[in-house]
Amino acid sequence: MGECAGNPHPAAVAAGEPEHGGQQGAPAARLLSVENLSTAFDTEDGPVTVVDQVSFEIDAGETLGLVGESGCGKSVTALSIMGLLPRPAGSIVGGRILFRGEDLGAAEALRLQQVRGNRIAMIFQEPMTALNPVQRIGRQLAEAYTLHAPGTGRNEAKGRALELLDQVGIPAAERRLTEYPHQLSGGMRQRVMIAMALASRPDLLIADEPTTALDVTIQAQILELLRDLQRETGMAILFITHDLGVIAELCSRVVVMYAGRIAEQASAPALFANPRHPYTRGLLRSVPRLEDDPKTVLSTIPGTVPDIHELPTGCRFANRCPHAEGVCRNRAPGLEDTPVPEGQTSTHRVACHRWRAVEAV
Amino acid sequence: MTSYFIRRFLLIVPTFIGVTILVFAVTRLVPGGPIERMLQEAAMAGSDVAASTSGFAGHGASSLSDAQIDQLKAYYGFDKPVIVGYAEWLGKVVRLDLGTSTRYSEPVWDTIKDRFPISIFYGITTLILTYSVCIPLGIVKAIRHKTTFDNLTSAVVFFGYAIPGYVVAIALLTVFAGNLGWFPLSGFVSDDFDDLGTLGKAADVAYHAVLPLIAYLAGSFAVTTMLMKNSLMDNLAAEYVRTAIAKGMAFRRAVFAHAFRNSLVPIATSFGNNITLIVTGSFLIEQIFNIDGFGLLGWESLVERDYPVVMGILVISSILFMVGNILSDICVAFVDPRVKFGSGESSQ
Ligand SMILES: Nc1ncnc2c1ncn2[C@@H]1O[C@H](COP(=O)(O)OP(=O)(O)O)[C@@H](O)[C@H]1O
Ligand code: SF4
Ligand SMILES: [Mg+2]
Repeated sequence: MGECAGNPHPAAVAAGEPEHGGQQGAPAARLLSVENLSTAFDTEDGPVTVVDQVSFEIDAGETLGLVGESGCGKSVTALSIMGLLPRPAGSIVGGRILFRGEDLGAAEALRLQQVRGNRIAMIFQEPMTALNPVQRIGRQLAEAYTLHAPGTGRNEAKGRALELLDQVGIPAAERRLTEYPHQLSGGMRQRVMIAMALASRPDLLIADEPTTALDVTIQAQILELLRDLQRETGMAILFITHDLGVIAELCSRVVVMYAGRIAEQASAPALFANPRHPYTRGLLRSVPRLEDDPKTVLSTIPGTVPDIHELPTGCRFANRCPHAEGVCRNRAPGLEDTPVPEGQTSTHRVACHRWRAVEAV
Repeated sequence: MTSYFIRRFLLIVPTFIGVTILVFAVTRLVPGGPIERMLQEAAMAGSDVAASTSGFAGHGASSLSDAQIDQLKAYYGFDKPVIVGYAEWLGKVVRLDLGTSTRYSEPVWDTIKDRFPISIFYGITTLILTYSVCIPLGIVKAIRHKTTFDNLTSAVVFFGYAIPGYVVAIALLTVFAGNLGWFPLSGFVSDDFDDLGTLGKAADVAYHAVLPLIAYLAGSFAVTTMLMKNSLMDNLAAEYVRTAIAKGMAFRRAVFAHAFRNSLVPIATSFGNNITLIVTGSFLIEQIFNIDGFGLLGWESLVERDYPVVMGILVISSILFMVGNILSDICVAFVDPRVKFGSGESSQ
């Protein structure tokens, strides 16, 4: 189970995994590479590809933001990585998901069970429904731990559960262990979800809109908790949101998705200072100031996302883009590298035929 | 948690009063009661106009002797104000004095009491068999949704559901008791039952029970099996199951560790209803197999206008219904903690 490279136990490092152990001086280790991932669903109207050739990387310890309007394929991307696509309707139809060099898309069911919750953990949008309503919090927490540490005694598991609740800032942890999910508020439930995710000290946490269902003040607390936990544990986070404001607070790099494809990918500072895709620019223009209601974020780009069954052959943003020209409708733009300021190592990629012209505006 | 059960039991009292008020209202319709008397007078008045049809209305009421009618009047207190009549009658009911059967001329309670063991035997056996078949079957069907096994078993249970129980009963009786002679034609036990040893008695009851049980069960599998299947499928698609798998649990294990208990909630809810249905039996099946159960007694009493027995059965089945509901609620409370603790949300 816990024998992946990067396991925090010194013994595992000493045992020697040369290809990873010998990376001294190299930039932070590559944790996850998503390469040309395509995921499709069988629907009544035939198969639809809802995630189309998506690629990105996450290094150990970094926070990557995945942002885009509702329905653009963020959750499906996350579920593809976790191997949690709803079956039999959904399936990965192309590309690879490399976790520490191992292709999770081709992994056996048993191997995936060893990775899930152990090396890659995930929390969801709805803390109300993500916990089992008829099981005590303590049991659900302990389970997250014992699944990857079989043979753990009852007391040890309980001790670990207490420790975890403490770590995510839940007061009166001892009492909480014996409570049921419905006895907790939404914010507390999301903290419990986070605690479960931390149980086996994962290398990567996928957080799929973890604050969307919560009050604004609770949102801020959860974000702060995630930031603190990341500092403490050194785990990487794939943070999914439709809210660029949240990205600014938390992420070092950002991937912007539109209608199942990547529109732009850059470091967070570069993206905010110098957005190159018309869609990103539209998003940024519509980010509210602190006083505004966060729910209004994305409503200001005119037009609507094309129907998933009738996607255009060219650029998927063309019907809403103020810069669209003939070429945009004929040919889909590929993701291309664009120049970055001196000294910056992070790439800045854009899928737009006219990014130069757009930038000149 | 305990307070929930105490509250639930205290509710028996008002429910019981409500039920008895309803039954008491019905007694006002029985022969000799104020309503029937009114109807009778109306019929008499009409008989002057249409002499040929009036005889029929008068005839039914006169099938009880004057003495019996007087007995009914005294028992239900027709001569007293409604409130007093009800209070006195209620007093008798709680002492199990349900009046005298006009057909058997013995206390109603004794008549009913004799049928209890038979009805309870069939009721509990059907209940146990139903749940021990339907729950596992529903689980397998949910996991193997849309496979050959699922389709085939659906066809079988719905076939049983579509055919009325009495048709199954007659078919079974004709083939297995009549033609093949494998099973007895009728009755709950053999004539020489009293001479048998304990094991022999048990075997004798079981031997007589096979065909009626199949007739009872044929129709009852479909509902519970499909309830279990659909309920489990809903829960398998629930987000908390996805959470369990995201934690690293195998799907098969998540079915039992997480989805199963949640999917029992609707089963537990229907439990009480099943209890009452099953104890009250089916008069047609009892009639066909000549089993002296509750269902047959109720049917015969109704046909023979043995009103005290009908009322007695009404009271007793209402009580059973109430008890069944409470049992249901207790079952639900056992599987679903949200019930015990109330659904009050703590604030953020
Ligand atoms: N189970 C499913 N069956 C069919 N289509 C689905 C299913 N789940 C998601 N989709 C489609 O996939 C697309 C992306 O969904 P999703 O990844 O959930 O979006 P979001 O970016 O809001 O998380 C949407 O168009 C959605 O309709
Ligand atoms: S490719 Fe054309 S339509 Fe698409 S974003 Fe760029 S300019 Fe707009
Ligand atoms: Mg989503």
